[in-house]
Amino acid sequence: MAAEVQAKLKGGEFLITASDPQDVFTPEDFTEEHQMIAQMAQQFMEREILPQCERIEDQDLDLTVELLRKAAAELDLLAIDVPQKYEGLGLDKPSSTIVAEKLSRVGSFAISYGAHCGIGTLPIVYFGTEEQKQQYLPKLAKGELLAAYALTEATSGSDALAAKSTAVLSEDKKSWVLNGEKLWITNAGFADLFIVFAKVDGKDFSAFIVERKFAGVQVGTEEKKMGIKGSSTCILLLENARVPVENLLGEKGKGHKIALNILNIGRYKLGAGCVGAAKAAIGDCLSYAGERQQFGRPIAEFGAIQEKLAEMAIRTWIAESMAYRTVGLIDARLREVDVDDPGQALKAIEEYAVECSIVKVWCTEMLDFVVDEAVQIFGGNGYSQEYPVERYYRDSRINRIFEGTNEINRLLITGMLLRRAKKGELALMQATEQIFSELTSFPEELDPEEKLAEEKRIVENAKKATLMVAGLASQKYGEALTDEQEVVMAAADMIMEVHGMESGLLRVLKIAQKGSKDLELYEKLIRCYIHDAIDKISLSGKKILGSVCEGDEQRTYQAALRKFCKHSLLNSISMRRNIAGALLKAQEYNL
Amino acid sequence: MKLLTCLKQIPDRDTRYEINAAGTGIKTSDLTFEISECDEYSLEESLKLREEHGGEVAILTLGPQRAEKSIRKGLAMGADRAILVRDDEGKVTTPHAVAKVLAEVLKEEEYDLILTGTQSDDWSYAQTGVLLAELLGLPHATIVMEIRADPAQKKVKALREMESGWFQWVELPMPAVLTIQAGISQIRYASLKGIMQAKKKEIRNVELSDLNVDLSSVPEVEVLKVYFPVVEKKAEILQGSTAEVVEQLVEKLKKEAKVI
Amino acid sequence: MSEKIYVLIDHGEGEIRTPSLESLALGQRMAEETGFSLHALILGNEIGPLAERLGKQKVDSVLLVEDQKLANYDPDVYCRALSEILTEDQPYLFLMGHIYQNIDLAPKLAAAINRGLVTDCIGYRKEGDDFVFVRQMFRNKLNADVQFRSEHPWIVTLQTGATSVDELKEGSGQVVERSLDLSAVELRRKPLEAFEATQGKVDLSQAELIVAVGRGIKKAENLKIIEELAEALGAEIAASRPVVDSEWLSRDRQIGSSGQTVSPRLYLACGISGAIQHIVGMKNAQCIVAINTDPNAPIFNIATYGIVGDLFEIVPALTKKLKEA
Repeated sequence: MAAEVQAKLKGGEFLITASDPQDVFTPEDFTEEHQMIAQMAQQFMEREILPQCERIEDQDLDLTVELLRKAAAELDLLAIDVPQKYEGLGLDKPSSTIVAEKLSRVGSFAISYGAHCGIGTLPIVYFGTEEQKQQYLPKLAKGELLAAYALTEATSGSDALAAKSTAVLSEDKKSWVLNGEKLWITNAGFADLFIVFAKVDGKDFSAFIVERKFAGVQVGTEEKKMGIKGSSTCILLLENARVPVENLLGEKGKGHKIALNILNIGRYKLGAGCVGAAKAAIGDCLSYAGERQQFGRPIAEFGAIQEKLAEMAIRTWIAESMAYRTVGLIDARLREVDVDDPGQALKAIEEYAVECSIVKVWCTEMLDFVVDEAVQIFGGNGYSQEYPVERYYRDSRINRIFEGTNEINRLLITGMLLRRAKKGELALMQATEQIFSELTSFPEELDPEEKLAEEKRIVENAKKATLMVAGLASQKYGEALTDEQEVVMAAADMIMEVHGMESGLLRVLKIAQKGSKDLELYEKLIRCYIHDAIDKISLSGKKILGSVCEGDEQRTYQAALRKFCKHSLLNSISMRRNIAGALLKAQEYNL
Repeated sequence: MKLLTCLKQIPDRDTRYEINAAGTGIKTSDLTFEISECDEYSLEESLKLREEHGGEVAILTLGPQRAEKSIRKGLAMGADRAILVRDDEGKVTTPHAVAKVLAEVLKEEEYDLILTGTQSDDWSYAQTGVLLAELLGLPHATIVMEIRADPAQKKVKALREMESGWFQWVELPMPAVLTIQAGISQIRYASLKGIMQAKKKEIRNVELSDLNVDLSSVPEVEVLKVYFPVVEKKAEILQGSTAEVVEQLVEKLKKEAKVI
Repeated sequence: MSEKIYVLIDHGEGEIRTPSLESLALGQRMAEETGFSLHALILGNEIGPLAERLGKQKVDSVLLVEDQKLANYDPDVYCRALSEILTEDQPYLFLMGHIYQNIDLAPKLAAAINRGLVTDCIGYRKEGDDFVFVRQMFRNKLNADVQFRSEHPWIVTLQTGATSVDELKEGSGQVVERSLDLSAVELRRKPLEAFEATQGKVDLSQAELIVAVGRGIKKAENLKIIEELAEALGAEIAASRPVVDSEWLSRDRQIGSSGQTVSPRLYLACGISGAIQHIVGMKNAQCIVAINTDPNAPIFNIATYGIVGDLFEIVPALTKKLKEA
């Protein structure tokens, strides 16, 4: 495919290195094939899923299974991430991400689809033996088998490795005997196979491919959930379940590698899914606001509504920039390795684990904001099941919980960066030293002719502020920093905002290079966003400074933080009105 | 069977159009484009016929370079190859001229059936397919709802929609031209496999200037002006909140119109 | 020299088709305005009585062409017959109804005699000595003024409902028989069985009250609010074509040029924009109520009462109100 970007940055390096717009992947770089895939997935959503939404929400699982099989048979959608060698298509990562985005409008179906293709199928793709792949992947790609992933237990959620389920080799050494109870298993109601985690002899955390038909495998009743009510979520009971010995997945005792890596992959896709759901919500709000009359005119004409619409769109656009930038990096790195070597492929994805976590947290919180505002725009109607925003609101909430809670992911973001720095994979300490040495220097004048010069400066400074504050925290607490979760999470917030600002800014600069009639609108969008984000960075920075230093030292760093977070005032009200105006004219999210 | 489907690329049906500066058409600069609906059904019918009888489906399009995108979708749906007659400047506008150009290209092609849409969703002339048949000296059937081909006998049966809810089967010798009605089947998706294969399929570009076709002899019809129809509101529009308008309506239907 | 306007008269089951009478009415108006002569042209077999009936309209003559081969419509033989007459007589204008039969025929004729064709016109106006024809396009969202730049005869097909049969003026015109040698024409298209789609199904033509639904309903599940309204009113449910094409309702509930024609006491149109193809099937309703979000929807031209608003709000409220009453 054309329009490829290069993975010039290593994982986490965005925080210390400037990027060229050429090096970020954006939706503007979609190839003709990507666009066709987007269109096809959208058509499938509009023709097959949306009209059946009510039945899906009533948890008609036969229908969900039928639709999944249809997606496989008529569109090859289940083959997207399965390598060609196993009758899949092995498409690039942007392709599967685009599909995830387009299917997210009906959360229940998107989850069923995503669980099958992602956490259900990918463990075999990346960790299966040749025999396991040949046995299962073609059937998974064709939808003849549907898959689920069973990790969580009653007492091990975020702390996944504390699982109590056990596996013991049978006396004849022909099978593993599994015992345990797995919770919150998406797709369990209809899945034919489960990727199950259990400890061999109670100590070696390992993964197994468990078919539903194996003796001792039982599925419990459906959970009654707040949202994604159409998806299936049950308990998986293993009572002396007999699993053939060859169905151990990966190495004995290396189950954590599978568990953690597979979740990692899911995160950037979930981010893209949130972007798709946000676009759908905005689209519904635009048409509702245009039709709903109050005080003798459409509510779309009121500033209060316009400001909401604009902010929803701004955040959606930033989220999209972050998600696709990350997908682009992963994809670029995957092109450099031997795709037939799952070890190399995994390593390529693992490289950007920090970015994946950032995308997960930022996008899921973006969507919660968007759907909340959507309900608000719909007013009383938004609280009624007659309108789709009520469902969007409920469906969004799980995103901050699964695939690693946002709290776990925030800890991971800062934690992984520090770990990479310590291992010498990331020159974080050097960059921090540099900033400390520059604290007293004066900034150069901005070129008044240069477009977005101030915003470029703000992004640079945001990185400096983040590095300074995180560096201080690291100095103060050393190894014990991981125990200071509030500090670690505040640092993660700063890091995420840096990623958001920069991803959006680079995308606008890329659009400027390519030329667009809407360039001015994008410039307004990014200016609004960056000027708000730097204030958020300032707040988080202050929170950390207040905890890690005091007295003169604190005053010195506070002054530095103030300098880094300085920005001019914008007429953001008028800019947001422009953005809302453009959206209302188009009557759909078309940024 | 050798099947040939004519596809036209048209502006997205859901777009709000704007009139161009000359006032003789719509602004196309910011539009997205798609395959005209009837044409998409005609492609679907071609693909079904190929599934049943084997052979080849070729796409024939007249249009600017951007039409390649729509053609690519047709190839992704399963067509084997395509010919694009390049008219980047939009010289060929009337259906008669279009048919003449297509007929010229078809001199070099082999086919058993030519399928077109009954009419396009943009200019909606509903002429091109039939003009093409006559220019090629072929029999035709229009507003076709169903096709049953018999390649061995070189015959095709087509179900035509007629006036006031009537339908009729007709039989034609092949080669023939059929113009297809919208909504007669379920249009297939471009599958992922299809999309990935489409880029490897041939789109042969033919320059208009390389064709030996004399457009000066085409009977001309000129579009003087394009405009939004003026709506004269005759209805009494009821004003107020939902509750108010509903109340007024029921009142009026009972007391004024006396229909309920 | 006096120019001539020819109008093709289509017929079926022993009756002249309404669209042809509408074309004739328009021909009369054009002839009056220009001083051209007007001639009705009818092809068929054993159709003398129809020609006589046409002679009672205000026409200069009725051209009657009878031949066994013309008994039923066939594009090859009809095209040949018309080609010969038009080439020989050179009328200024040739009017036809834009009905399915002529969609099949008119372009073939235009190609055969190499003359210009403007299809699906909704009207015309005189600009100096020239006629400018008006037609709809882009799914009726736009109108276009078009003018012939070709030799006569100009061929024009007229949209059903573009003029009214009520305008038709009586008079007397002589029936002139015309004989053509059509023996050499080969009929390539073989007619097989014909059937009527609505047979034995819903007959809306007798319905007193109809609730009709269009594209604005968006999806099949939403139909339940329409069903509830129909139930509250004791009305039948009907639909415009897009709803039927999407298979949300059966084809026998379709109103319009390709569906049924109805004239109920009340026609409640929900989310129907009012394309002419739909309007021809329901315009004779005694009272028409239109509910549509688009204030410019053409349905408001013919409605008695209009509500500009979201049918998803209005319809349930109306149902509730009716149930209360």
